[in-house]
Amino acid sequence: MWQKLQNIDRRIIYTLLLIVLFVPMAKPLGIPLSVNETTQTVFDTIEALDPQSDTVLFVLDYSVGGQADVHPQAVAVAKHLGRRGIKTVMVGFVTDGPMFAEQIIAELGDRFTYGETVINLGYMSGGETAVKSFVEDPKNSFENDHRGNRVANTPIMSGIETIKDFSYIIDFQTGAPGYQDFLRQLPAGFPYAAGIVTVCVPNVIPYYNSGQLHGLLQGLRGAAEYEVVLGEPGEGAARMDAQSMGHVVIIAFIVVGNLAYFMTKRSVKKSA
Amino acid sequence: MRRGVPLAIVFIVGTLLLLNYFVANDTLKATSTNLVNWGVIVSAFAVGLASVNLVRIHINKISRQRPGWINSVALVATMAIFISVGIYTKLNPDNAGAKALFQNLFDHSYSPFGSAMFAILAFYVASASYRAFRMRSLEASLLLIAAVLVMLGNAPIGELVWDKFPVISNWLLRVINMTGQRGIAIGVAIGGFATSMRILLGFDRGHLGQGE
Repeated sequence: MWQKLQNIDRRIIYTLLLIVLFVPMAKPLGIPLSVNETTQTVFDTIEALDPQSDTVLFVLDYSVGGQADVHPQAVAVAKHLGRRGIKTVMVGFVTDGPMFAEQIIAELGDRFTYGETVINLGYMSGGETAVKSFVEDPKNSFENDHRGNRVANTPIMSGIETIKDFSYIIDFQTGAPGYQDFLRQLPAGFPYAAGIVTVCVPNVIPYYNSGQLHGLLQGLRGAAEYEVVLGEPGEGAARMDAQSMGHVVIIAFIVVGNLAYFMTKRSVKKSA
Repeated sequence: MRRGVPLAIVFIVGTLLLLNYFVANDTLKATSTNLVNWGVIVSAFAVGLASVNLVRIHINKISRQRPGWINSVALVATMAIFISVGIYTKLNPDNAGAKALFQNLFDHSYSPFGSAMFAILAFYVASASYRAFRMRSLEASLLLIAAVLVMLGNAPIGELVWDKFPVISNWLLRVINMTGQRGIAIGVAIGGFATSMRILLGFDRGHLGQGE
């Protein structure tokens, strides 16, 4: 029996996981969630900004592959910025960035006024070279925004001369360019936060602990935590139940798999 | 000559950019900014060149009807649609219909397909967790226990079962993991510096092609 269990058909595993992920999505369980200090730092920093004088650089460096983890973070933070009336300059150093920016602006259109409190500058190619170029001269990096408007004519960009005119940079990313590129190119100590995919958390944690990152949103959980602290539950919180159940099933698979492995080994030893 | 000129360009550009980092000089800064801007322009052309190359390879595959050529048809057709709609949108920024079509193509085709590809990983992870995560040795057991603890700490259900799971998970990530990651990061930085110097001084010529 243990041998059979060890060689279980993978379709059974897939079906079990599918059911376990689907049920909480259809009927959320509402499992309570505590807020991590790394998320709270981002929230507190944005909460302390002044809508009259502060501008946030909102970088969308994620691709469609990682959007399930990162896009809910970007939406939650944009909701907060829009609610507080903080000027938000969106830019992308990966091709999908400006498209996600348009999605967010369309979703939160009632919280922003295009050109005055939000702008989508578009995509800049070149990876870290592009990041360096933008950091050195954000005013002249884009002649037109993603929608074809002259950037120089927009009120939101009128106060931007250098990178230091941004009070906070938050970069949502799935890979390169990402936190390392920004940390290398930004002036030392610049208030910079990152929103990352869950698998990158172990790599990024040292940069948060050293104080180089002023806030960190950790995968889908980071998005859910931000929604909780913001008091506006959304996509992140809704998906956390499914992720919880998915984790439980994977742990159960590990336990059963190991049990089957050891029992088979034992019975082979016995028969020998 | 074919080797000497690119090597000289790499050396001069690299040295100027490095100097700009350490020396405060307006002329050097202006030159460095220009060089970085050229880099951005060259990389934009590289994206275009890569697209042309991709189309060339797949048209060749279609014309010779090599195995999987039907996938190449899908790729070329999709590229043609996206590029034509994208260019039309850029040339006619006031055309709201074209803009909406481009955004809809992204939102309702590219975006869900991309997400689906990534989501499939969850099923592979589930299957691998059942078949491959075995406590065959002490190291494997430690890795497995740490992974389970981090998973329970990250999932709200773990917190519901025992409120110390997030504390343990945080400790594993911010103490045990961090020491290892810092060591790796320092090693990578030293390696990166050594490789950069080799490229700058012309000892490493892999970037010139032909594996030299």
